[in-house]
Amino acid sequence: MHKQTGQPGETASSSRTAMIEIIKVTKCYPPNVTALADISITIASGEMFFLIGKSGAGKTTLLKLLCNMEKPSNGLIEIAGMNIHQVTGNKLAKLRQRVGMAYQDFRLLTNRTVAENIAISMEVSYRKPQIIHDRVRNLLAQLQLEDKHDILTGDLSRGEQQRVALARAVANSPTLILVDEPTGNLDAISTEQVMDLLTRCNHSGATVVIVTHDEAIYRHTNHRIMKLHDGRIASLTRGSGSEQPFSVDIPDDAERMDKSGDMR
Amino acid sequence: MNFWLAVIRQTGRNLRQTWTTQLITCLTVSLSVLIFSFFYLIYLNMLSVGDKLSDNLHLVVYLEDEPGPEMQEQLRLKITQFDQVEKIRFISKEEAYNRFAKQLGDNREILTDMPTDFLPASIEVVPLRTLRSLRQVKLFSEYLATLPGSQKVQYGQQWVERFYSFIQLLSIIVLLSGSLLILTATFMVASTIRLTIFGRQEELELLKLVGATNSYIRTPFLLEGLLQGLAGALLGLSALYTLFQWTTHHISGAGFFNLLSFTFFPFTIISTIVLLSIILCAVGSYASMQKFLRV
Ligand SMILES: Nc1ncnc2c1ncn2[C@@H]1O[C@H](COP(=O)(O)OP(=O)(O)OP(=O)(O)O)[C@@H](O)[C@H]1O
Ligand SMILES: [Mg+2]
Repeated sequence: MHKQTGQPGETASSSRTAMIEIIKVTKCYPPNVTALADISITIASGEMFFLIGKSGAGKTTLLKLLCNMEKPSNGLIEIAGMNIHQVTGNKLAKLRQRVGMAYQDFRLLTNRTVAENIAISMEVSYRKPQIIHDRVRNLLAQLQLEDKHDILTGDLSRGEQQRVALARAVANSPTLILVDEPTGNLDAISTEQVMDLLTRCNHSGATVVIVTHDEAIYRHTNHRIMKLHDGRIASLTRGSGSEQPFSVDIPDDAERMDKSGDMR
Repeated sequence: MNFWLAVIRQTGRNLRQTWTTQLITCLTVSLSVLIFSFFYLIYLNMLSVGDKLSDNLHLVVYLEDEPGPEMQEQLRLKITQFDQVEKIRFISKEEAYNRFAKQLGDNREILTDMPTDFLPASIEVVPLRTLRSLRQVKLFSEYLATLPGSQKVQYGQQWVERFYSFIQLLSIIVLLSGSLLILTATFMVASTIRLTIFGRQEELELLKLVGATNSYIRTPFLLEGLLQGLAGALLGLSALYTLFQWTTHHISGAGFFNLLSFTFFPFTIISTIVLLSIILCAVGSYASMQKFLRV
């Protein structure tokens, strides 16, 4: 057999390799909007990372750069060591299969059912139909949407659509999950379910970047929180929360309300 | 394997979503296949009719004098200069007389007072049985008339010539309907695919974002074109076959058609037409994708 070629320090560093490397990135939209200015940040593999800031600060723009929907005007972005704005063709496709993004505007196919929408991200990497089916059921159960399996997403409430978009983002078990305002339209219970799902993904190894306005979901974390202001990094702090992951104070009877919450 | 499963599912979705357009395209393709193969079938059958007719087609050049062996050689040379021929036969005055006498049979007494050389010597020329040489039988006869010592040229019946110009006309119609087939197949399919692409712009955009490969996005459209070509050709050919059966059944009484015994396409031609239609439709969908699918 071959001799093990272990290099000192390799194991030590591999647990903390950078998943996202953003170096001096600037993004300008024509004619003269500077959405991001000179952003540099490294996000480690397996990290959960919060991105906050007021509306128009450039949060969505940063996520779009990370999933190659937009190209930076300046600077370099590496995902898992690859300059994503240089890869093309099937390599880019393979990379995107490993990045799940829940868009702020959902981007659901409104004339398709919930199940079909979630399945899309798995179909493109040719998963077996049985596996897709099981995974869709499983995700819907986690998000309390079991009964929506065959409903057209166009007929869902905003909050439901938001959760379907999230389910699609995580369905293919990506190594990098980018979520844009995952809880904007949700009540406390649903918010907790969404955060539980994301935490579970994170615990199974995925790097998770969460853009949010919702103070409730990052108030108690011990993860890093980056605040953007006018396209610049305003602050980068570590949450001072306790070890246990996310929790919000929920009145006991709220559990019975979650169904009625959907009907708004 | 999973790739094809996914692609086929996607194609099925495409077809279901735009089935009315798909149906119209399919019918248009099949109609043009029908038109083309209809004329082609007539053309082929007329060719075989022509073959039968030409079995006893030959030209006779009547000569002023009986040619000597030298002269015969020269004439032979001259004739083959125009075109290759199946056979050349010199018939001397005596031979002609004997033949005639034989034909008369019991009535040969009529000839008793005649000299044995009252019939002219002649050359029998059997042209090659290719369509080309048959088509220019008239030209050939005109050429033969200019041979030294030629008195008169006779060939078959006048209508042989007409028949071949009819076949020529048919071949032009076949070419035209062939071009019609090419145009409709490619353009109809191209425009249907364009419609599908426009109708699903949002989805195609999303597919790219979630990491669909180029082939995953493109293959369903190509497959759609292939299916259109296949279905259109099969439909058109079955329509023609039904028409063929009906016609031969109803016309079998009439004497003329009985002689001709029409036949349907052999298998090779059927498969060629199907293949052609598939290729054309695939080309149409490919062109449309190149133009409208920004991948
Ligand atoms: N396609 C575009 N063309 C021009 N300007 C744009 C475009 N996209 C975003 N911007 C501008 O860039 C800035 C940052 O936008 P971005 O969407 O990143 O904000 P955001 O932080 O996500 O805000 P919100 O919290 O409201 O979603 C805004 O001023 C916005 O108007
Ligand atoms: Mg935003």
